[in-house]
Amino acid sequence: MNRQDLQLLTDQAKEKKNSCKHTICVCCGASCISSGSEEVLKKLEEEIKSRGLENEVAVIPTGCMGPCNQGPLVKYMPENTIYQKVDCDNIARVVQSQLIDKKPIEDLLLFADSREKPFLNAEEDPFFKKQLKVALLDCGDINPETIEDYFTRDGYKALSDVLFRMSPEDVIAEIKHSRIRGRGGAGYPTGMKWETVYKYVSDQKYVICNGDEGDPGAFMDRSVLEGNPHRVLEGMAIAGYAVGASKGYAYIRGEYPLAIKRFELAIKQARKNGLIGNNILGTNFSFDVDVRIGAGAFVCGEETALIASIEGKRGTPKPRPPFPAESGLWGHPTLINNVETFAGIVPILNKGGEWYSEIGTPKSAGTKVFALAGKINYSGLIEVPMGTTLREIVFDIGGGIQGGGTFKAAQTGGPSGGCIPAEHLDVKMDYEALVNLGSIMGSGGLIVMDQQSDMVDVARYFMEFCMDESCGKCVPCRVGTKMMHDLLHKICAGNGTRIDLDRLEELAVYVKETSLCGLGGSAPNPLLSTLRHFRQEYESRITTPGVKKELQPQS
Amino acid sequence: MTTITIQVNGKQLATEPDKTILEVCRANDIEILTMCHLKGVMDVGACRLCLVEIEGINKLLSACTTKVAANMVIRTDTERIKKYQRITTELFFAERNHVCSVCVANGKCELQQLGYKVGMDHIRYPFLYPKCELDSSHAWYVIDHNRCIMCTRCVRVCNEVEGAHNWDVMNRGTQVRVISDFNSPWGESVTCTSCGKCVHACPTGAIWPKAIVQGQLEKKPGIINELVEKRKMKL
Amino acid sequence: MNAGFTTLSTELPKTDPRVKLLNARIKKEHYRPDALIEILHTAQNAYGYLPLPVLAHIARSLNLPPSRVYSTVTFYHFFSLKSKGEHTCLVCTGTACYVKGAQKILDEIERQFNLQPGQVSADNQLGVAVARCIGACGLAPAVVIDDEVQGKTEPAAVIEKIHSKTGKP
Ligand SMILES: Cc1cc2nc3c(=O)[nH]c(=O)nc-3n(C[C@H](O)[C@H](O)[C@H](O)COP(=O)(O)O)c2cc1C
Ligand code: FES
Repeated sequence: MNRQDLQLLTDQAKEKKNSCKHTICVCCGASCISSGSEEVLKKLEEEIKSRGLENEVAVIPTGCMGPCNQGPLVKYMPENTIYQKVDCDNIARVVQSQLIDKKPIEDLLLFADSREKPFLNAEEDPFFKKQLKVALLDCGDINPETIEDYFTRDGYKALSDVLFRMSPEDVIAEIKHSRIRGRGGAGYPTGMKWETVYKYVSDQKYVICNGDEGDPGAFMDRSVLEGNPHRVLEGMAIAGYAVGASKGYAYIRGEYPLAIKRFELAIKQARKNGLIGNNILGTNFSFDVDVRIGAGAFVCGEETALIASIEGKRGTPKPRPPFPAESGLWGHPTLINNVETFAGIVPILNKGGEWYSEIGTPKSAGTKVFALAGKINYSGLIEVPMGTTLREIVFDIGGGIQGGGTFKAAQTGGPSGGCIPAEHLDVKMDYEALVNLGSIMGSGGLIVMDQQSDMVDVARYFMEFCMDESCGKCVPCRVGTKMMHDLLHKICAGNGTRIDLDRLEELAVYVKETSLCGLGGSAPNPLLSTLRHFRQEYESRITTPGVKKELQPQS
Repeated sequence: MTTITIQVNGKQLATEPDKTILEVCRANDIEILTMCHLKGVMDVGACRLCLVEIEGINKLLSACTTKVAANMVIRTDTERIKKYQRITTELFFAERNHVCSVCVANGKCELQQLGYKVGMDHIRYPFLYPKCELDSSHAWYVIDHNRCIMCTRCVRVCNEVEGAHNWDVMNRGTQVRVISDFNSPWGESVTCTSCGKCVHACPTGAIWPKAIVQGQLEKKPGIINELVEKRKMKL
Repeated sequence: MNAGFTTLSTELPKTDPRVKLLNARIKKEHYRPDALIEILHTAQNAYGYLPLPVLAHIARSLNLPPSRVYSTVTFYHFFSLKSKGEHTCLVCTGTACYVKGAQKILDEIERQFNLQPGQVSADNQLGVAVARCIGACGLAPAVVIDDEVQGKTEPAAVIEKIHSKTGKP
């Protein structure tokens, strides 16, 4: 395939799409599938056929639309009307009223059960209105299992532009100009990382896409891979061109079979169309991608451990320096970026780095995907510009606290992050602001807790996670997390003393500063942040040595 | 060969690039505590005893794995580092069952010496008392997991120097154990050559030759590097 | 401790379809040692777990030291050296599910079946396990029973579902 062929295919795909008056999108993200959306899809196709509408109405499965706990979701395009909790019984009703009678069913509209007046056009609903989709763009609008649908969104145009019009230096300059930062957690400037890898001279370089997403409570990367796998693949190919790599690996969690299936399918389709493989679009740039499946180890999200795992070994981290950019997979320079980072590359190149850099805050450009979960009314997947306040996310988008409870804290960054208490609800969420509050952006998990949550137990929960996931290589992480966990357990049970609390704090700082990798380095964060914001909960739990709690004098 | 200068604890040192901080410090009689480092095999940076402060880098880095760079300003003796070395030592002792008085390595043990060096007079953390096995199935040697500190020196010697790869590490977290073959008895190993290098590599009383009277154990970790160097020589 | 490696030196039966599948995969990966994890995935899918003779076979085929294979297998949660039971009940204990009461489900399972996470019933019918987030946080609390995700579930419903799978009251 050459450039003209790609243009032709794109035009054909668009024409075909436009020939259908209506498109019905059925969300087939993992969440909706488990609420039965695949049956809904089948039933819907039958229904359309039985009414003889199949030439006018296209029915497609799509990736995640966002409001995951309202599923299965069905969206009518171009009206942009979303129905929630659609099942095989009410599907006929929906088709009849929406397509034939042109009278939407109010009580099945999205959020009909909680909003006074649900919106006909979902874009006007506050859940979507405050969002800005960049990484999630097209996710939920196209069928992730066909490359034609990706072509209707100008798929692989960015790659073709890059190959024919830009030098690797130009690409890197554009990415730098966009000021995009890595979405895997640490927020390292992506352009600088690419430049570093580009500068190392080697006959072989690698690009790795980190889709390990081990944080409990995070499902952003999964939704991107499931909803728009070609976008990630295209981003990887562009990165390969920019840094001079000819081989890429996508390391995806074994817990995500659907994401693996769809990404492998995307690779197959792109390969068949000559969009990855040898001599892409007739140029002398070659780039191929393989999938590697994770086997259940959180620490394998850490880049050096991930590399060891791709090499078929135990996923234990190595001291850095040397960084993977210098010596990574099999000792070669390796670029490693997160799924969401790669998903952001194509929009940047299509719309320009300038456009991207104007979104967000001065230090953190662009948008961030968050996975909302916990005691919140509308949990699901959202994407907002950096600098959106926590209040907007929880109350405007997320619809407030479930069951009329009160907001106590939001946990970001999973086991490496911390809690943001109610008094900081107006914090503008970006990398620096969260670090200042003792938390981190992390990969984007955001768990909301209400007044019933016990913060000491939350700290214990995360410490248990880190203890179980510690690879056991270095002493501070292996033994330190175990000691901290035991102390927290003791305090939770009401048997802790002042000395225990002091030990705990000392150990927390020690483990943070001396651990070999980021797992140990951030394992004390949930503990330190709950100590910082909810110290009284710890204080009220500890006892004076030798005195039973119930015998202590009441002050 | 080019020469660079670095500063360690306020002292200017001239050295070649491409050396680790640990190598340079040892060559200049600056003490750095180590446990997982063994000259002659690859460094893994696992014990975190050799951490140093480097100006301009906000993380502590392990001296055994970090290369020197021109004009690096290094401190090895700050209060913070000493405090952390002590905590690490205490954690070593609390993790498994180190009962020096009945240990074959008593008096000859690197862990014991470490305890003296950091001035450890008691252990502030609860002992974990894990159940550990002792494997005496090998005709000449014994491995006692109660005394193992997971420095993996034996694993690396066996793999890199002897090329046998009898040893490896199983599980993760505090459940890690050094294993022979499929976590099977050492005596039934199909890979072990009975060379005895792991005995000398082991810093504690975890691996030792049979028929040793307490206090007579003589370990020669230096022998590993000697072998490695001799191999490089052209005869 | 396991038996010595020599006792595992007998070849796997070549007619076993699972062995054929495994060997095909090994060949496809060109006997490369760095494909160990991919090959272990295949073996685990075929056998449901990783019996020692199978590991010995893999070690020999890839020319890897036995301890290297064993160390890799025991590092990853996905791989299991023991049978996981005919039916499996996987309770997600990720943050969202934890906040929404995953522990109650586990408690009920323990009360009903006397099984804790990681245990398999005596008749090998049911195995109970926990996962650290299956990524269905929007549906918390979530339980996976024989590959079927049960979202927004509760203890009684889980027990009922398990009964319907194992065919017991
Ligand atoms: C314990 C630990 C777990 C991590 N998990 C992930 C992960 O699940 N996904 C991810 O993209 N990055 C993860 N990272 C960060 C990676 O090491 C790496 O920084 C990132 O993939 C770089 O990509 P970026 O520059 O696009 O952010 C983790 C780091 C640590 C220390
Ligand atoms: S000697 Fe450097 S970390 Fe152990």
